[in-house]
Amino acid sequence: MEGPAAKARRRGDWVWCVPLLAIAAVGASALLFDLTLSLRLPGNRDWAEAAAALRVRGGPADAVQLWPPWAERARLFVRPLPVRTEEDLRAADYPGVERLWLLALPRAPLAHLGRARAALRERGATAGDEIRFGALSLQPWELHGPRVLSLLTSPLEEHEVDYVPRQCTLLRIGRPGNPGRLQARGEGGLLHVRAGIVGERAYQRFRDPVRVDVEVDGAALATLIVPPTAPAEPGWRRLDGAAPAGEHAFTFLVSARDVDRTFCLSAWTTAR
Amino acid sequence: MSRRLPLALAALTFAALFATQSGVGFVRDEGYYFEAAKSYEQWVVLLLRAPAAAVRDTGRYWSVNFEHPGLAKLLFAVSHLVFTTWLGWLPDALAWRLPAFAFGALLTYWLAVLGTQRSRAAAVLAPALFWCAERTFFHGHLACFDVPICALTAGVGVAWARAIGLLQTSTPTPTPTRHGVFLGFLFGCALGVKHNAWLLPPVLLVHALLLPAAFRGRAWRMLPWLLLGPVVLFAGWPLLWHEPVRHLSDWVSFHTQHVHYAWYYLGRELRGPPFPILYPLVLLALVLPLTQVALFAAAGAKLLWDFAHRALSPLRLLELGLAGAAIAPFLLRTTPIFGGIKHWLAFLALLAPEASHLLERSAGLAQRAGVPRSRGLLVAAAAALLPGLWQIAHVHPYGTSAYGELTLGIPGAASLGMQRQYWSNNVTAVLPWLNAHAPAGARVFFHEVNLESYRAYQQAGLLRADIQYASGPWDAQYAALQWHREFRDREPETWNAFGTRTPATGLYLDETPQIVVYARPGLPGAP
Repeated sequence: MEGPAAKARRRGDWVWCVPLLAIAAVGASALLFDLTLSLRLPGNRDWAEAAAALRVRGGPADAVQLWPPWAERARLFVRPLPVRTEEDLRAADYPGVERLWLLALPRAPLAHLGRARAALRERGATAGDEIRFGALSLQPWELHGPRVLSLLTSPLEEHEVDYVPRQCTLLRIGRPGNPGRLQARGEGGLLHVRAGIVGERAYQRFRDPVRVDVEVDGAALATLIVPPTAPAEPGWRRLDGAAPAGEHAFTFLVSARDVDRTFCLSAWTTAR
Repeated sequence: MSRRLPLALAALTFAALFATQSGVGFVRDEGYYFEAAKSYEQWVVLLLRAPAAAVRDTGRYWSVNFEHPGLAKLLFAVSHLVFTTWLGWLPDALAWRLPAFAFGALLTYWLAVLGTQRSRAAAVLAPALFWCAERTFFHGHLACFDVPICALTAGVGVAWARAIGLLQTSTPTPTPTRHGVFLGFLFGCALGVKHNAWLLPPVLLVHALLLPAAFRGRAWRMLPWLLLGPVVLFAGWPLLWHEPVRHLSDWVSFHTQHVHYAWYYLGRELRGPPFPILYPLVLLALVLPLTQVALFAAAGAKLLWDFAHRALSPLRLLELGLAGAAIAPFLLRTTPIFGGIKHWLAFLALLAPEASHLLERSAGLAQRAGVPRSRGLLVAAAAALLPGLWQIAHVHPYGTSAYGELTLGIPGAASLGMQRQYWSNNVTAVLPWLNAHAPAGARVFFHEVNLESYRAYQQAGLLRADIQYASGPWDAQYAALQWHREFRDREPETWNAFGTRTPATGLYLDETPQIVVYARPGLPGAP
């Protein structure tokens, strides 16, 4: 019969297996992750079904927000609703959008869908029922944003600022005595101006800030300064202020000492 | 120990690289090196016909890509001259890449030689650990300098170790002179391939200083042979034959004043110094398969631990020194960091013998608990290599996009904010679609694919000859965009120019966009 000392020795012997077991465990867990990753990601059928649902349920004041924002394979399937890839859902502007469809990959690694939903809640949005299409989640969110009175720039044109496509209009930067100019007519109310420098030149810190002067019917209303982007400061700068009620001519004058940059501006007015 | 096993493994590496090269796109740098190789090939032809004229006119042929020494490109050129121009056996790109496969095989050979100093199993596992990851495997295919300089770093290490008597060999020991000449020759080849070689003499000097007295004398006698290196550099780089000081100065200043490219790392674009000090180590941890990360980390820690406790053998000390020197410049926070892990591949390579030893040792220890050694070794090898083999099977040939399990794969890396890809080679995925859909003479905006690579694709028959190179979306009917954070402006620019936001096709790896193709509405293939 085996004595207690022999048993203890045999148990002790297994300690020698620890390094091998550790390597085997690491390898097995790595392989398990690799082999199951595709199960956490949507297939063509999932995308097609989600897109079909959006075609049926989507309205004229709807937009689709992808989550994570890199999940842009959606663009192959989702039409005709506009697709947005905002990264900060709490601060993002969705002018004219009443209902936002959050199309997400909830099981994708590090997707953090909960954070996206929390951000939408923080801005006052309310969620509808979530629908699942395989590895895709589709959920409508009523944004309860202020009613848009006038879009002063085209929502059809998009440009990148801060690495996110923005609905904005390109504007020539002029020298201080001869600024670039954009004119639009629209309803007064709460004026929202967003502006930034397109591309990598936004990050050239040796450059001068760009100045945006806003005039209403020829009278100065406000000024927005867009400095070179220094992360984590945003490159997409905001100006929100009251504009007199009624229809007016809005003028945006853009100037800087160095003009060889591409500048983009978005402006709209809301009821509050 | 016999050289048969290292040679067999080297042959296997060459065959594996050769067999898997067809889908590997032409990276931006290759485009330049192909052009250089074309020019150098003309010079070689001239040398054979009119040697005096060739010697006189080096500047005309060798000024192309003056910023890198000529040896690797000369080999690409000679390979093309022999296997394509003369024999007609190989397509152009494959002929240019053939010497790169040979360097990959040499790397395997030298790693196996270092491995044999531990055991036969370590000889097999050392190169296997290096190659079983898509990033390293991918680089093995390219007519570039990263794997060649990695191989020659290992080669110089082996030559040095052999010359001063650190290696056990079954073959008769040559004379010290032959050892010295070979060492100097290999160092010269390394100098002739890439400037990483500048760091080798200091490593060998420090190694000589730290060696036990029994080896130190031989090491001191070997060091002067390194002076052969510049001679080999000079001989293998005809650009230096006239105005050498000017060309050497141009070479050095190009690299000491190298530009910094924007690089996406953990959610921020790195545009210039100071870079995060641990950047190269973190990147390795994020792109390699998890078991390799663990084993290489353990190998580095074990070498450092034994060094601190003066328990490091001279050969392991050399491996530690070479590995450390390969990565040290990138820990300075000022050295350009673009290019993924390619600039410090030798760090991995020189840790591989120690990592393979640790792997084998785990099986040896388990033997004490009654696990048969062969079974333990099989389990260890499978655990270490299968995730990497899966990564290759899953991601190849899109090597610059590969990420390991620590980032939770490619989607996890996208969420973490890591560089999606670089060098534009992933465009090969959409070339068949363009060939099938683009009308005759269609203008395509290839984004990051440079003109040289575009021509190489046409030359290789991967892209139809009538398809034209457009300079921007405004000028194009189709656009093949490479997803880069810093080039994010190109996609909206394409939407505005084309009047559509719906891609026609694309390459998506685990859902992450890599290449996105747009077609103007109404054209074949447009959605």
